[in-house]
Amino acid sequence: MFDVALADNGILRFIGRLDAAQAAKAQAALDAAADPGVIDFALLEYISSAGLGVLLRTQKRLMASGRKLKLVNVNNHIHDIFRYSGFDQIFEIERAAGAPGP
Amino acid sequence: MKGERKPKDLTTDELRWILEVTRRLAAPLDLDTMLREVVDVARGVCDADFGMVWLHDAARGELSMQVVPGLEPTRIAADHGIVGECLRLRKAINLPDCHADPRFDREVDLASGYRTRSMLTLPMVGPDDTLVGALQIVNPRDGVFDANDEVVAHLLADQCAVALQRVRMTEQMIRAGKLGQEIAVAREIQLATLPQSAPRVPGYDVAGIFRPADETGGDTYDFVALPGGRYAILMGDATGHGIGPALLATHVRAMLRVALRLEADIDETVRHMNNQLVDDLPDDRFVTAFLGLLDANAHSVRYHAAGQGPLLHFRAATGTCELYPPTSFPLGSLHMPSARAAAVLELAPGDILALASDGIYEYQDVSQREFGADAVAALVSAHHQRPMAELVEVMLRALADFGAGIAQADDLSMVLIRRLPDAALDSAVAASDAGPGMQQRFARSLDSLDAVFDFVGRYFAAEGLDPGLRYAVDLTVEELFANMVRHNAEGKSDIRLALAREGEALLGTIEDFDSPPFDFGAPRATSIGKPLADRRPGGLGLHLIRRMMDSVEYRHADRVTTITFRKGSGRT
Repeated sequence: MFDVALADNGILRFIGRLDAAQAAKAQAALDAAADPGVIDFALLEYISSAGLGVLLRTQKRLMASGRKLKLVNVNNHIHDIFRYSGFDQIFEIERAAGAPGP
Repeated sequence: MKGERKPKDLTTDELRWILEVTRRLAAPLDLDTMLREVVDVARGVCDADFGMVWLHDAARGELSMQVVPGLEPTRIAADHGIVGECLRLRKAINLPDCHADPRFDREVDLASGYRTRSMLTLPMVGPDDTLVGALQIVNPRDGVFDANDEVVAHLLADQCAVALQRVRMTEQMIRAGKLGQEIAVAREIQLATLPQSAPRVPGYDVAGIFRPADETGGDTYDFVALPGGRYAILMGDATGHGIGPALLATHVRAMLRVALRLEADIDETVRHMNNQLVDDLPDDRFVTAFLGLLDANAHSVRYHAAGQGPLLHFRAATGTCELYPPTSFPLGSLHMPSARAAAVLELAPGDILALASDGIYEYQDVSQREFGADAVAALVSAHHQRPMAELVEVMLRALADFGAGIAQADDLSMVLIRRLPDAALDSAVAASDAGPGMQQRFARSLDSLDAVFDFVGRYFAAEGLDPGLRYAVDLTVEELFANMVRHNAEGKSDIRLALAREGEALLGTIEDFDSPPFDFGAPRATSIGKPLADRRPGGLGLHLIRRMMDSVEYRHADRVTTITFRKGSGRT
């Protein structure tokens, strides 16, 4: 299952597994947020290309007004996906604590 | 009209006859018997030479002549001749001298050599005023038909009209309802006798299908495990469609089962089954059948192909199919005085014996071209390495594509027997020591993804695979599955996912059984270094799985897309 939560500090939290069946839900949450800014991946277990697509579209929208997404607490597996896809060059990524450096 | 003339002196005998025929007509008779009854009574009462009944076919505007022994059934236009005039007027026509009347058709006499002198023609009108036909009696012994004859014949014609309508209605009801039910029962019996699944034969991959046509056909097949690693295989096809062939096919299978229980030799079995069918069946009925005995230890098949053919033998060594003709005539066509020796076929590793019924070879497309044995052979050769159950699916799909919407005319049955190649045997043994692979079908929808991941999780747990690999496998499976859903939304089949071990590697296969070719060629990896504005979300999935898997292979043939992926050492 996949969920999006909004923390008190205004940070969006992605929770669970963001697969192709859940991409629309993630997209709707990001579209609804005027300025997502930071997304916390601490509880995100899985993301596939469909989720990357959602993030990419959002990034393009924000960049049009000079803003950017920052992804924090990204686990190793998910970081691999960003690396393999070259998306690590598109997003500012902060890896989860305890994860080895790049 | 009835009662226009009073009978002057209807004798007791005449009355008794009429009452008798009335009573008999009330009993449930078939059409022919009933008509004979009426004509016999009419002839008897009027002491005439012969009589006949014309039935009115309103739909075709014709009259058909019935009940004249020695004369071919004849059809004429409904307004033709005396009988046509009689029906038009709905009145009896009594001609003392036919040849003096211009309406009389002399051709009938000329053709038959019979001399019609005097003729009485009466309309048969049903109680609801519909024209049923006409009763005609010819040449009374005393010269002409008198008023008395007319009255008696009228009574008979009226009775006959009522009875005829009843018989026609009954026949219609039987055709529409009861017969339909009986055919359904026959089919149920036929299907119930077929094996529910192919037998497990060590060292072999066996698959069979039976797909009946809309109406019950006469195909049957059977596998029976015998002592000593031997298996009896039957595939039969009784001529025709409907209840008869369905029951006959069931009958043939039952005879075989009894013979096997008695441990009869296959050669003697064929002879006795044949001779029994010669005794049981009418001349135009017979059964084509393949009856074989597979020895899974000696890798040979002894068989009789009674009018059944061609048999296909795929030889793995050459990669081609040989076609063998039937070994003898169809069962039930000719008495067999002594047993014939079975033909023998050797199966080398990777060889396939394919049996297909006429319904497959003769499957027709819109221009009535037949699918043909060569097409079957080509498919077997092209897909010989796949599981036989899949080859069956490929075959059915190819037939459906070939027919392009034309309804299946005949039963389709097929039996495929593949001797596993030694390598497959080895890996099958190796796999069995770690548990068999798993496979599952999923509905073509992204909503299936949860079930897909659950399936992968169960396989990992069952095999004790490294959880560190789970992400890569999940992602690969999702990307491939989602691609199949998106790019082939019109596909009719489920999508099948299989996971197995290949040595130390994990082997995954995902298949779409109803799909156009998919451009799996160049990955869009080139966009990875591009500026953001040029980058698109699509195409990433395939790039990712190529990075994460050791190998990814794509195949497409006969509307089946197969993608295979491997990931090294799945062991912890």
